[in-house]
Amino acid sequence: MKQVQAQDEPLLDVSGVTLQYKTREHLVTATYRVSFQVFAGERFILLGPSGCGKSTLLKGVAGFLKPVEGTIRLGGRVIDKPGPDRMMVFQEFDQLLPWKTVKQNVMFPMKASRRLDGPEADARALAYIDKVNLTKFSNSYPHTLSGGMKQRVAIARAMAMEPAILLMDEPFAALDALTRRKMQEELLHLWRDTKFTMIFVTHSIEEAIILGSRVLVMSPHPGQVKAELNAGNFDHASQGGPEFQALQQRIHNMLFAQRIEQEAPVIHE
Amino acid sequence: MSKGVDMTAMPVRPEFEADPSHDVKIGDAARPLSVFERITANTLLRRIFILIVLAIIWEIYARWLKNPLMFPSFSEMSAALWESLVHGPLLERTYTTLRVLIMGYAAGITLAAAFTTLAVSTRVGTDLLSTLTAMFNPLPAIALLPLGLLWFGLGIPSLIFVIIHSVLWAVALNTHTGFLSVPETQRMAGMNYGLRGVRYVTLILIPAALPSILAGLKIGWAFAWRTLIAAELVFGVSSSSGGLGWFIFENRNMLETANVFAGLTTVIVIGLLVESVVFRSVELRTVRRWGMQR
Repeated sequence: MKQVQAQDEPLLDVSGVTLQYKTREHLVTATYRVSFQVFAGERFILLGPSGCGKSTLLKGVAGFLKPVEGTIRLGGRVIDKPGPDRMMVFQEFDQLLPWKTVKQNVMFPMKASRRLDGPEADARALAYIDKVNLTKFSNSYPHTLSGGMKQRVAIARAMAMEPAILLMDEPFAALDALTRRKMQEELLHLWRDTKFTMIFVTHSIEEAIILGSRVLVMSPHPGQVKAELNAGNFDHASQGGPEFQALQQRIHNMLFAQRIEQEAPVIHE
Repeated sequence: MSKGVDMTAMPVRPEFEADPSHDVKIGDAARPLSVFERITANTLLRRIFILIVLAIIWEIYARWLKNPLMFPSFSEMSAALWESLVHGPLLERTYTTLRVLIMGYAAGITLAAAFTTLAVSTRVGTDLLSTLTAMFNPLPAIALLPLGLLWFGLGIPSLIFVIIHSVLWAVALNTHTGFLSVPETQRMAGMNYGLRGVRYVTLILIPAALPSILAGLKIGWAFAWRTLIAAELVFGVSSSSGGLGWFIFENRNMLETANVFAGLTTVIVIGLLVESVVFRSVELRTVRRWGMQR
Protein backbone atom coordinates (compact mmCIF):
# COMPACT_ATOMS: atom_id res chain seq x y z
CA MET A 1 0.00 0.00 0.00
CA LYS A 2 1.44 3.30 -1.06
CA GLN A 3 1.38 6.08 1.51
CA VAL A 4 -1.35 8.58 0.80
CA GLN A 5 0.20 11.66 2.38
CA ALA A 6 1.85 12.39 -0.95
CA GLN A 7 -1.54 13.43 -2.30
CA ASP A 8 -2.59 16.86 -1.14
CA GLU A 9 -6.33 16.95 -1.87
CA PRO A 10 -8.65 14.32 -0.40
CA LEU A 11 -11.37 13.06 -2.75
CA LEU A 12 -13.92 12.93 0.03
CA ASP A 13 -13.77 15.17 3.06
CA VAL A 14 -16.13 14.44 5.93
CA SER A 15 -15.69 16.96 8.69
CA GLY A 16 -17.47 17.15 12.02
CA VAL A 17 -20.56 15.37 10.74
CA THR A 18 -23.46 14.75 13.09
CA LEU A 19 -26.30 12.75 11.58
CA GLN A 20 -29.74 12.26 13.05
CA TYR A 21 -32.79 10.36 11.89
CA LYS A 22 -36.29 9.98 13.23
CA THR A 23 -37.94 6.72 14.14
CA ARG A 24 -41.55 6.54 15.21
CA GLU A 25 -40.67 7.34 18.81
CA HIS A 26 -37.13 8.68 18.91
CA LEU A 27 -34.85 11.17 17.33
CA VAL A 28 -31.71 9.06 17.04
CA THR A 29 -28.28 10.61 16.84
CA ALA A 30 -26.49 8.12 14.62
CA THR A 31 -23.08 9.78 14.41
CA TYR A 32 -21.58 12.58 16.46
CA ARG A 33 -18.94 14.88 14.94
CA VAL A 34 -17.31 12.27 12.77
CA SER A 35 -14.42 13.37 10.56
CA PHE A 36 -12.42 11.42 8.02
CA GLN A 37 -10.87 11.84 4.59
CA VAL A 38 -10.76 9.45 1.69
CA PHE A 39 -8.14 9.76 -1.03
CA ALA A 40 -8.39 8.52 -4.58
CA GLY A 41 -7.75 4.82 -4.94
CA GLU A 42 -8.29 4.03 -1.26
CA ARG A 43 -10.33 1.11 -0.01
CA PHE A 44 -11.78 2.86 3.00
CA ILE A 45 -13.59 0.72 5.56
CA LEU A 46 -16.17 1.91 8.06
CA LEU A 47 -16.01 -0.69 10.82
CA GLY A 48 -18.02 -0.93 13.97
CA PRO A 49 -20.71 -2.84 15.86
CA SER A 50 -24.37 -2.32 14.97
CA GLY A 51 -25.60 1.01 16.22
CA CYS A 52 -22.38 2.88 15.47
CA GLY A 53 -24.00 4.74 12.60
CA LYS A 54 -21.71 3.42 9.87
CA SER A 55 -24.58 2.71 7.46
CA THR A 56 -26.16 6.07 8.28
CA LEU A 57 -22.81 7.72 7.60
CA LEU A 58 -22.67 6.01 4.21
CA LYS A 59 -26.21 7.24 3.45
CA GLY A 60 -24.99 10.70 4.38
CA VAL A 61 -22.17 10.43 1.86
CA ALA A 62 -24.67 9.10 -0.70
CA GLY A 63 -26.78 12.20 -0.10
CA PHE A 64 -29.89 10.50 1.29
CA LEU A 65 -29.45 12.22 4.64
CA LYS A 66 -28.34 15.76 5.39
CA PRO A 67 -25.95 16.34 8.30
CA VAL A 68 -27.34 18.47 11.10
CA GLU A 69 -23.80 19.61 11.79
CA GLY A 70 -20.62 19.54 9.72
CA THR A 71 -20.12 19.07 6.00
CA ILE A 72 -19.46 16.28 3.52
CA ARG A 73 -17.49 17.35 0.46
CA LEU A 74 -16.75 15.34 -2.64
CA GLY A 75 -13.99 16.88 -4.75
CA GLY A 76 -14.51 20.16 -2.94
CA ARG A 77 -18.28 20.33 -3.56
CA VAL A 78 -20.75 19.94 -0.70
CA ILE A 79 -22.99 16.90 -1.11
CA ASP A 80 -26.65 17.83 -0.83
CA LYS A 81 -28.52 15.16 -2.77
CA PRO A 82 -28.07 11.64 -4.15
CA GLY A 83 -26.28 11.49 -7.46
CA PRO A 84 -24.70 9.04 -9.88
CA ASP A 85 -21.17 10.18 -9.03
CA ARG A 86 -21.56 8.16 -5.82
CA MET A 87 -22.90 4.73 -6.73
CA MET A 88 -24.24 2.71 -3.88
CA VAL A 89 -24.28 -1.08 -3.51
CA PHE A 90 -26.71 -2.24 -0.87
CA GLN A 91 -26.84 -5.29 1.35
CA GLU A 92 -30.29 -6.35 0.17
CA PHE A 93 -30.64 -8.64 -2.83
CA ASP A 94 -33.73 -6.73 -4.01
CA GLN A 95 -31.63 -3.73 -5.06
CA LEU A 96 -31.73 -4.99 -8.66
CA LEU A 97 -34.79 -3.98 -10.61
CA PRO A 98 -36.70 -7.23 -11.20
CA TRP A 99 -38.24 -6.00 -14.46
CA LYS A 100 -34.86 -5.63 -16.12
CA THR A 101 -32.40 -8.26 -17.24
CA VAL A 102 -28.86 -8.30 -15.89
CA LYS A 103 -27.63 -6.25 -18.83
CA GLN A 104 -30.53 -3.81 -18.64
CA ASN A 105 -29.91 -3.40 -14.92
CA VAL A 106 -26.27 -2.54 -15.52
CA MET A 107 -27.20 -0.15 -18.33
CA PHE A 108 -30.05 1.51 -16.46
CA PRO A 109 -28.05 4.00 -14.33
CA MET A 110 -26.08 5.10 -17.40
CA LYS A 111 -29.31 5.77 -19.29
CA ALA A 112 -31.23 7.20 -16.32
CA SER A 113 -28.47 9.68 -15.57
CA ARG A 114 -28.11 10.37 -19.31
CA ARG A 115 -24.42 9.70 -19.09
CA LEU A 116 -24.22 7.11 -21.84
CA ASP A 117 -26.71 5.69 -24.27
CA GLY A 118 -27.00 3.28 -27.19
CA PRO A 119 -24.14 1.02 -28.23
CA GLU A 120 -21.63 2.69 -25.89
CA ALA A 121 -23.74 1.91 -22.83
CA ASP A 122 -24.26 -1.57 -24.20
CA ALA A 123 -20.56 -2.22 -24.66
CA ARG A 124 -19.62 -0.85 -21.28
CA ALA A 125 -22.32 -2.86 -19.52
CA LEU A 126 -21.10 -6.05 -21.18
CA ALA A 127 -17.50 -5.26 -20.26
CA TYR A 128 -18.34 -4.90 -16.57
CA ILE A 129 -20.65 -7.92 -16.58
CA ASP A 130 -17.66 -9.81 -17.94
CA LYS A 131 -15.47 -8.46 -15.14
CA VAL A 132 -17.79 -10.07 -12.57
CA ASN A 133 -17.98 -13.28 -14.65
CA LEU A 134 -21.68 -13.15 -15.48
CA THR A 135 -21.51 -12.91 -19.28
CA LYS A 136 -23.54 -16.11 -19.58
CA PHE A 137 -26.34 -14.53 -17.57
CA SER A 138 -26.49 -11.09 -19.17
CA ASN A 139 -29.97 -11.75 -20.53
CA SER A 140 -31.36 -13.40 -17.40
CA TYR A 141 -33.81 -11.76 -15.04
CA PRO A 142 -32.61 -11.18 -11.46
CA HIS A 143 -35.07 -13.64 -9.90
CA THR A 144 -33.27 -16.50 -11.65
CA LEU A 145 -29.93 -15.62 -10.03
CA SER A 146 -28.46 -16.66 -6.69
CA GLY A 147 -27.76 -14.13 -3.95
CA GLY A 148 -24.06 -13.93 -4.74
CA MET A 149 -24.76 -13.42 -8.44
CA LYS A 150 -27.21 -10.63 -7.67
CA GLN A 151 -24.60 -8.84 -5.58
CA ARG A 152 -22.09 -9.24 -8.41
CA VAL A 153 -24.58 -7.62 -10.79
CA ALA A 154 -25.09 -4.79 -8.30
CA ILE A 155 -21.32 -4.29 -8.12
CA ALA A 156 -21.00 -4.38 -11.91
CA ARG A 157 -23.88 -1.89 -12.16
CA ALA A 158 -22.20 0.49 -9.76
CA MET A 159 -18.74 0.12 -11.31
CA ALA A 160 -19.99 0.53 -14.87
CA MET A 161 -20.94 4.09 -13.98
CA GLU A 162 -17.27 4.65 -13.18
CA PRO A 163 -18.29 6.84 -10.25
CA ALA A 164 -15.95 9.09 -8.30
CA ILE A 165 -16.50 6.83 -5.34
CA LEU A 166 -18.18 3.47 -4.76
CA LEU A 167 -20.31 3.15 -1.64
CA MET A 168 -20.76 -0.38 -0.38
CA ASP A 169 -23.18 -1.00 2.46
CA GLU A 170 -22.32 -4.49 3.77
CA PRO A 171 -22.81 -5.98 0.30
CA PHE A 172 -21.63 -9.43 1.36
CA ALA A 173 -23.33 -9.61 4.76
CA ALA A 174 -26.27 -11.67 3.54
CA LEU A 175 -24.11 -14.22 1.71
CA ASP A 176 -22.94 -17.59 2.97
CA ALA A 177 -19.35 -17.80 4.19
CA LEU A 178 -17.93 -19.54 1.10
CA THR A 179 -19.57 -17.17 -1.36
CA ARG A 180 -18.56 -14.19 0.77
CA ARG A 181 -14.92 -15.17 0.64
CA LYS A 182 -15.06 -15.64 -3.10
CA MET A 183 -16.70 -12.24 -3.52
CA GLN A 184 -14.05 -10.58 -1.37
CA GLU A 185 -11.35 -12.08 -3.56
CA GLU A 186 -13.15 -10.90 -6.69
CA LEU A 187 -13.56 -7.41 -5.30
CA LEU A 188 -9.83 -7.15 -4.53
CA HIS A 189 -9.11 -8.46 -8.00
CA LEU A 190 -11.37 -5.81 -9.54
CA TRP A 191 -9.64 -3.16 -7.47
CA ARG A 192 -6.23 -4.23 -8.75
CA ASP A 193 -7.72 -3.94 -12.23
CA THR A 194 -9.26 -0.48 -12.07
CA LYS A 195 -8.04 1.11 -8.79
CA PHE A 196 -11.45 2.53 -7.96
CA THR A 197 -12.09 4.42 -4.72
CA MET A 198 -14.54 2.85 -2.34
CA ILE A 199 -16.06 3.18 1.09
CA PHE A 200 -17.03 -0.22 2.42
CA VAL A 201 -19.21 -0.68 5.49
CA THR A 202 -18.84 -3.86 7.51
CA HIS A 203 -19.10 -5.16 11.05
CA SER A 204 -16.61 -7.97 10.43
CA ILE A 205 -13.10 -7.18 11.65
CA GLU A 206 -11.69 -9.86 9.38
CA GLU A 207 -13.44 -8.50 6.30
CA ALA A 208 -12.25 -4.99 7.17
CA ILE A 209 -8.60 -6.04 7.38
CA ILE A 210 -8.72 -8.15 4.22
CA LEU A 211 -10.56 -5.67 2.01
CA GLY A 212 -9.46 -2.33 3.37
CA SER A 213 -6.41 -0.21 2.81
CA ARG A 214 -7.53 2.02 5.66
CA VAL A 215 -9.98 1.20 8.43
CA LEU A 216 -12.06 3.69 10.38
CA VAL A 217 -13.04 2.06 13.67
CA MET A 218 -16.20 3.48 15.18
CA SER A 219 -17.80 3.20 18.61
CA PRO A 220 -21.57 3.10 19.06
CA HIS A 221 -24.35 5.23 20.61
CA PRO A 222 -23.77 7.65 19.08
CA GLY A 223 -21.22 6.74 16.42
CA GLN A 224 -17.87 8.36 17.01
CA VAL A 225 -14.42 7.80 15.56
CA LYS A 226 -12.32 5.49 17.67
CA ALA A 227 -9.31 4.99 15.45
CA GLU A 228 -8.10 5.10 11.88
CA LEU A 229 -5.73 2.27 10.96
CA ASN A 230 -3.75 1.12 7.94
CA ALA A 231 -4.54 -2.36 6.68
CA GLY A 232 -3.23 -2.29 3.15
CA ASN A 233 -0.77 -5.14 3.61
CA PHE A 234 -3.26 -7.92 4.18
CA ASP A 235 -5.31 -10.23 2.04
CA HIS A 236 -6.73 -13.74 2.38
CA ALA A 237 -3.25 -15.24 2.19
CA SER A 238 -2.03 -13.38 5.26
CA GLN A 239 -5.08 -14.30 7.29
CA GLY A 240 -3.36 -16.74 9.65
CA GLY A 241 -0.19 -14.65 10.07
CA PRO A 242 0.93 -13.01 13.33
CA GLU A 243 0.64 -9.43 12.04
CA PHE A 244 -2.87 -10.06 10.81
CA GLN A 245 -3.86 -11.57 14.12
CA ALA A 246 -2.24 -8.75 16.07
CA LEU A 247 -4.22 -6.16 14.13
CA GLN A 248 -7.36 -8.21 14.49
CA GLN A 249 -6.81 -8.44 18.25
CA ARG A 250 -6.07 -4.73 18.48
CA ILE A 251 -9.33 -3.80 16.76
CA HIS A 252 -11.21 -6.37 18.77
CA ASN A 253 -9.97 -4.79 22.00
CA MET A 254 -10.96 -1.35 20.79
CA LEU A 255 -14.48 -2.44 19.99
CA PHE A 256 -15.12 -4.50 23.07
CA ALA A 257 -13.19 -2.55 25.71
CA GLN A 258 -16.30 -0.78 26.90
CA ARG A 259 -18.57 -3.71 26.63
CA ILE A 260 -20.26 -3.16 29.99
CA GLU A 261 -21.04 0.38 29.02
CA GLN A 262 -22.69 -0.88 25.86
CA GLU A 263 -25.13 -3.10 27.69
CA ALA A 264 -27.16 0.10 28.16
CA PRO A 265 -30.33 0.52 26.02
CA VAL A 266 -29.79 -0.67 22.51
CA ILE A 267 -31.33 1.27 19.68
CA HIS A 268 -31.42 -0.77 16.52
CA GLU A 269 -30.22 0.67 13.32
CA MET B 1 -16.26 -26.43 22.84
CA SER B 2 -17.27 -27.71 26.28
CA LYS B 3 -14.51 -29.41 28.19
CA GLY B 4 -17.03 -31.66 29.95
CA VAL B 5 -17.31 -33.96 26.93
CA ASP B 6 -15.09 -36.99 27.29
CA MET B 7 -13.73 -37.47 23.79
CA THR B 8 -12.13 -40.81 24.60
CA ALA B 9 -15.55 -42.35 25.16
CA MET B 10 -16.32 -41.97 21.45
CA PRO B 11 -15.05 -44.72 19.12
CA VAL B 12 -12.56 -43.30 16.61
CA ARG B 13 -13.87 -43.75 13.07
CA PRO B 14 -11.59 -43.72 10.04
CA GLU B 15 -11.46 -40.61 7.82
CA PHE B 16 -11.63 -40.77 4.05
CA GLU B 17 -11.70 -38.57 0.97
CA ALA B 18 -13.79 -39.59 -2.00
CA ASP B 19 -13.44 -38.66 -5.65
CA PRO B 20 -16.88 -38.21 -7.20
CA SER B 21 -16.42 -39.68 -10.65
CA HIS B 22 -18.63 -39.00 -13.64
CA ASP B 23 -18.87 -42.45 -15.18
CA VAL B 24 -21.20 -43.88 -12.57
CA LYS B 25 -24.64 -44.78 -13.92
CA ILE B 26 -27.03 -42.85 -11.70
CA GLY B 27 -29.36 -41.82 -14.52
CA ASP B 28 -29.86 -38.35 -15.97
CA ALA B 29 -29.70 -35.37 -13.66
CA ALA B 30 -32.60 -33.90 -15.65
CA ARG B 31 -35.05 -35.66 -17.94
CA PRO B 32 -37.69 -34.24 -20.31
CA LEU B 33 -41.30 -34.39 -19.10
CA SER B 34 -43.66 -36.92 -20.63
CA VAL B 35 -46.51 -35.84 -22.90
CA PHE B 36 -49.09 -36.37 -20.16
CA GLU B 37 -47.08 -34.26 -17.73
CA ARG B 38 -46.82 -31.50 -20.31
CA ILE B 39 -50.55 -31.51 -21.04
CA THR B 40 -51.54 -31.44 -17.40
CA ALA B 41 -49.05 -28.64 -16.77
CA ASN B 42 -50.94 -26.41 -19.23
CA THR B 43 -53.36 -24.24 -17.24
CA LEU B 44 -55.46 -23.32 -20.27
CA LEU B 45 -56.03 -26.97 -21.21
CA ARG B 46 -56.95 -27.86 -17.63
CA ARG B 47 -59.45 -25.00 -17.48
CA ILE B 48 -60.99 -25.91 -20.83
CA PHE B 49 -61.37 -29.45 -19.54
CA ILE B 50 -63.27 -28.16 -16.49
CA LEU B 51 -65.54 -26.07 -18.74
CA ILE B 52 -66.34 -29.12 -20.88
CA VAL B 53 -67.19 -31.19 -17.81
CA LEU B 54 -69.48 -28.42 -16.51
CA ALA B 55 -71.24 -28.21 -19.89
CA ILE B 56 -71.80 -31.98 -19.92
CA ILE B 57 -73.26 -31.92 -16.40
CA TRP B 58 -75.52 -29.03 -17.41
CA GLU B 59 -76.75 -30.90 -20.51
CA ILE B 60 -77.48 -34.11 -18.59
CA TYR B 61 -79.32 -32.30 -15.79
CA ALA B 62 -81.43 -30.18 -18.17
CA ARG B 63 -82.42 -33.21 -20.23
CA TRP B 64 -83.41 -35.04 -17.11
CA LEU B 65 -85.41 -32.02 -15.88
CA LYS B 66 -87.24 -31.56 -19.24
CA ASN B 67 -88.33 -28.00 -18.46
CA PRO B 68 -86.85 -25.68 -21.11
CA LEU B 69 -88.92 -22.75 -19.83
CA MET B 70 -87.13 -22.80 -16.50
CA PHE B 71 -83.83 -24.45 -17.36
CA PRO B 72 -82.92 -24.96 -21.01
CA SER B 73 -80.17 -27.43 -21.85
CA PHE B 74 -76.67 -26.50 -22.97
CA SER B 75 -77.45 -27.39 -26.57
CA GLU B 76 -80.65 -25.29 -26.57
CA MET B 77 -78.69 -22.40 -25.12
CA SER B 78 -75.98 -22.83 -27.75
CA ALA B 79 -78.56 -22.79 -30.52
CA ALA B 80 -80.17 -19.66 -29.06
CA LEU B 81 -76.76 -18.04 -28.72
CA TRP B 82 -75.90 -18.75 -32.35
CA GLU B 83 -79.28 -17.56 -33.51
CA SER B 84 -79.08 -14.30 -31.54
CA LEU B 85 -75.54 -13.70 -32.64
CA VAL B 86 -76.14 -14.23 -36.34
CA HIS B 87 -79.72 -13.10 -36.85
CA GLY B 88 -80.60 -11.44 -33.60
CA PRO B 89 -79.47 -8.30 -31.82
CA LEU B 90 -76.90 -9.93 -29.49
CA LEU B 91 -73.80 -8.70 -31.32
CA GLU B 92 -75.09 -5.15 -31.42
CA ARG B 93 -76.10 -5.30 -27.75
CA THR B 94 -72.66 -6.58 -26.80
CA TYR B 95 -71.03 -3.81 -28.79
CA THR B 96 -73.17 -1.19 -27.02
CA THR B 97 -72.22 -2.59 -23.62
CA LEU B 98 -68.51 -2.86 -24.35
CA ARG B 99 -68.37 0.65 -25.76
CA VAL B 100 -69.90 2.14 -22.62
CA LEU B 101 -67.72 -0.10 -20.48
CA ILE B 102 -64.47 0.95 -22.11
CA MET B 103 -65.38 4.64 -21.88
CA GLY B 104 -66.20 4.31 -18.18
CA TYR B 105 -63.18 2.11 -17.45
CA ALA B 106 -60.80 4.52 -19.15
CA ALA B 107 -62.31 7.50 -17.33
CA GLY B 108 -62.11 5.62 -14.01
CA ILE B 109 -58.44 4.73 -14.53
CA THR B 110 -57.56 8.30 -15.50
CA LEU B 111 -59.20 9.62 -12.35
CA ALA B 112 -57.51 6.91 -10.28
CA ALA B 113 -54.13 7.94 -11.71
CA ALA B 114 -54.84 11.57 -10.77
CA PHE B 115 -55.86 10.60 -7.22
CA THR B 116 -52.83 8.36 -6.75
CA THR B 117 -50.47 11.04 -8.02
CA LEU B 118 -51.97 13.41 -5.49
CA ALA B 119 -51.71 10.76 -2.78
CA VAL B 120 -48.02 9.95 -3.37
CA SER B 121 -46.97 13.57 -3.66
CA THR B 122 -48.75 15.17 -0.69
CA ARG B 123 -49.81 14.05 2.75
CA VAL B 124 -53.21 15.72 2.38
CA GLY B 125 -53.61 13.70 -0.82
CA THR B 126 -52.85 10.48 1.05
CA ASP B 127 -55.42 11.32 3.72
CA LEU B 128 -57.98 12.32 1.10
CA LEU B 129 -57.53 9.10 -0.86
CA SER B 130 -57.65 6.91 2.27
CA THR B 131 -60.80 8.60 3.55
CA LEU B 132 -62.60 8.59 0.22
CA THR B 133 -61.67 4.96 -0.43
CA ALA B 134 -62.86 3.93 3.02
CA MET B 135 -66.15 5.73 2.35
CA PHE B 136 -66.88 4.74 -1.22
CA ASN B 137 -65.19 1.38 -1.74
CA PRO B 138 -67.77 -0.55 0.31
CA LEU B 139 -70.66 1.34 -1.33
CA PRO B 140 -72.07 -0.75 -4.20
CA ALA B 141 -71.79 1.34 -7.34
CA ILE B 142 -75.29 0.34 -8.40
CA ALA B 143 -76.65 2.12 -5.32
CA LEU B 144 -75.57 5.38 -6.96
CA LEU B 145 -77.58 4.68 -10.10
CA PRO B 146 -80.74 6.51 -8.91
CA LEU B 147 -78.58 9.55 -8.23
CA GLY B 148 -76.90 9.19 -11.61
CA LEU B 149 -80.31 9.02 -13.30
CA LEU B 150 -81.38 12.13 -11.44
CA TRP B 151 -78.27 14.08 -12.39
CA PHE B 152 -77.57 12.84 -15.89
CA GLY B 153 -80.88 11.39 -17.02
CA LEU B 154 -81.49 8.11 -18.80
CA GLY B 155 -78.56 7.25 -21.01
CA ILE B 156 -74.87 6.69 -21.31
CA PRO B 157 -73.66 9.48 -18.95
CA SER B 158 -75.33 7.96 -15.90
CA LEU B 159 -73.95 4.51 -16.82
CA ILE B 160 -70.46 5.98 -17.07
CA PHE B 161 -71.02 7.68 -13.74
CA VAL B 162 -71.61 4.38 -11.94
CA ILE B 163 -68.78 2.62 -13.80
CA ILE B 164 -66.30 5.32 -12.80
CA HIS B 165 -67.41 4.90 -9.24
CA SER B 166 -66.90 1.15 -9.36
CA VAL B 167 -63.43 1.37 -11.01
CA LEU B 168 -61.90 4.43 -9.38
CA TRP B 169 -61.60 3.33 -5.76
CA ALA B 170 -60.40 -0.20 -6.38
CA VAL B 171 -57.71 0.91 -8.82
CA ALA B 172 -56.59 3.93 -6.78
CA LEU B 173 -56.41 1.93 -3.56
CA ASN B 174 -54.40 -0.89 -5.12
CA THR B 175 -52.02 1.42 -6.97
CA HIS B 176 -51.39 3.46 -3.86
CA THR B 177 -50.79 0.34 -1.76
CA GLY B 178 -48.44 -0.90 -4.49
CA PHE B 179 -46.45 2.33 -4.42
CA LEU B 180 -46.17 2.20 -0.65
CA SER B 181 -44.79 -1.34 -0.72
CA VAL B 182 -41.97 -0.65 -3.19
CA PRO B 183 -38.80 -1.80 -1.37
CA GLU B 184 -36.76 0.98 0.20
CA THR B 185 -33.62 -0.28 -1.56
CA GLN B 186 -35.19 0.08 -5.01
CA ARG B 187 -36.33 3.60 -4.16
CA MET B 188 -32.85 4.53 -2.95
CA ALA B 189 -31.27 2.93 -6.01
CA GLY B 190 -33.55 5.02 -8.24
CA MET B 191 -32.68 8.23 -6.42
CA ASN B 192 -29.02 7.26 -6.49
CA TYR B 193 -29.14 7.42 -10.31
CA GLY B 194 -30.42 10.97 -10.05
CA LEU B 195 -34.04 10.13 -10.92
CA ARG B 196 -36.59 12.65 -9.61
CA GLY B 197 -40.26 13.48 -10.10
CA VAL B 198 -42.08 12.05 -13.11
CA ARG B 199 -39.09 9.98 -14.31
CA TYR B 200 -38.73 8.46 -10.85
CA VAL B 201 -42.43 7.51 -10.84
CA THR B 202 -42.47 6.07 -14.36
CA LEU B 203 -39.09 4.32 -14.29
CA ILE B 204 -39.09 3.01 -10.70
CA LEU B 205 -42.41 3.23 -8.86
CA ILE B 206 -44.82 2.08 -11.59
CA PRO B 207 -42.88 -1.04 -12.69
CA ALA B 208 -42.07 -1.92 -9.08
CA ALA B 209 -45.73 -1.63 -8.10
CA LEU B 210 -47.01 -3.34 -11.25
CA PRO B 211 -48.31 -6.50 -9.51
CA SER B 212 -50.59 -4.37 -7.31
CA ILE B 213 -51.55 -2.09 -10.18
CA LEU B 214 -52.56 -5.08 -12.33
CA ALA B 215 -54.51 -6.57 -9.43
CA GLY B 216 -56.33 -3.25 -9.08
CA LEU B 217 -57.08 -3.11 -12.80
CA LYS B 218 -58.47 -6.65 -12.68
CA ILE B 219 -60.70 -5.92 -9.70
CA GLY B 220 -61.76 -2.66 -11.32
CA TRP B 221 -62.61 -4.48 -14.53
CA ALA B 222 -64.74 -7.07 -12.70
CA PHE B 223 -66.55 -4.37 -10.70
CA ALA B 224 -67.21 -2.31 -13.81
CA TRP B 225 -68.52 -5.28 -15.77
CA ARG B 226 -71.00 -6.41 -13.17
CA THR B 227 -72.09 -2.87 -12.34
CA LEU B 228 -72.78 -2.14 -15.98
CA ILE B 229 -74.82 -5.27 -16.58
CA ALA B 230 -76.82 -4.58 -13.42
CA ALA B 231 -77.39 -0.97 -14.43
CA GLU B 232 -78.56 -2.03 -17.89
CA LEU B 233 -81.08 -4.42 -16.32
CA VAL B 234 -82.58 -1.44 -14.54
CA PHE B 235 -82.87 0.90 -17.46
CA GLY B 236 -82.44 -0.55 -20.86
CA VAL B 237 -85.96 0.91 -20.84
CA SER B 238 -84.80 3.95 -22.71
CA SER B 239 -84.41 2.77 -26.27
CA SER B 240 -83.78 0.04 -28.76
CA SER B 241 -80.05 0.61 -28.33
CA GLY B 242 -79.85 -1.20 -24.99
CA GLY B 243 -76.92 -3.38 -23.97
CA LEU B 244 -76.47 -6.97 -22.85
CA GLY B 245 -78.30 -6.41 -19.56
CA TRP B 246 -81.28 -5.14 -21.45
CA PHE B 247 -81.10 -8.14 -23.81
CA ILE B 248 -81.36 -10.45 -20.80
CA PHE B 249 -84.20 -8.47 -19.25
CA GLU B 250 -86.16 -8.27 -22.50
CA ASN B 251 -85.94 -11.99 -23.16
CA ARG B 252 -87.01 -12.85 -19.63
CA ASN B 253 -90.12 -10.74 -20.20
CA MET B 254 -90.82 -12.70 -23.35
CA LEU B 255 -90.07 -15.98 -21.54
CA GLU B 256 -87.31 -16.76 -24.04
CA THR B 257 -85.34 -18.52 -21.33
CA ALA B 258 -82.77 -19.98 -23.74
CA ASN B 259 -82.00 -16.44 -24.85
CA VAL B 260 -81.64 -15.33 -21.23
CA PHE B 261 -79.07 -18.09 -20.80
CA ALA B 262 -77.40 -17.05 -24.05
CA GLY B 263 -77.13 -13.50 -22.76
CA LEU B 264 -75.71 -14.67 -19.45
CA THR B 265 -73.23 -16.91 -21.25
CA THR B 266 -72.07 -13.98 -23.34
CA VAL B 267 -71.50 -11.98 -20.14
CA ILE B 268 -69.50 -14.86 -18.67
CA VAL B 269 -67.50 -15.56 -21.84
CA ILE B 270 -66.48 -11.93 -22.22
CA GLY B 271 -65.50 -11.84 -18.55
CA LEU B 272 -63.42 -15.00 -18.94
CA LEU B 273 -61.77 -13.79 -22.13
CA VAL B 274 -60.71 -10.48 -20.64
CA GLU B 275 -59.45 -12.17 -17.50
CA SER B 276 -57.67 -15.12 -19.06
CA VAL B 277 -56.55 -13.66 -22.37
CA VAL B 278 -56.01 -9.93 -21.90
CA PHE B 279 -54.90 -9.74 -18.28
CA ARG B 280 -53.16 -13.07 -18.31
CA SER B 281 -51.02 -12.29 -21.32
CA VAL B 282 -50.09 -8.95 -19.79
CA GLU B 283 -49.12 -10.75 -16.59
CA LEU B 284 -47.14 -13.41 -18.42
CA ARG B 285 -45.21 -10.77 -20.29
CA THR B 286 -44.52 -8.65 -17.21
CA VAL B 287 -44.81 -9.59 -13.56
CA ARG B 288 -44.54 -13.35 -14.04
CA ARG B 289 -41.62 -13.09 -16.38
CA TRP B 290 -39.87 -10.84 -13.89
CA GLY B 291 -40.54 -13.23 -11.01
CA MET B 292 -42.57 -10.61 -9.15
CA GLN B 293 -45.59 -12.90 -9.09
CA ARG B 294 -45.86 -16.64 -9.29
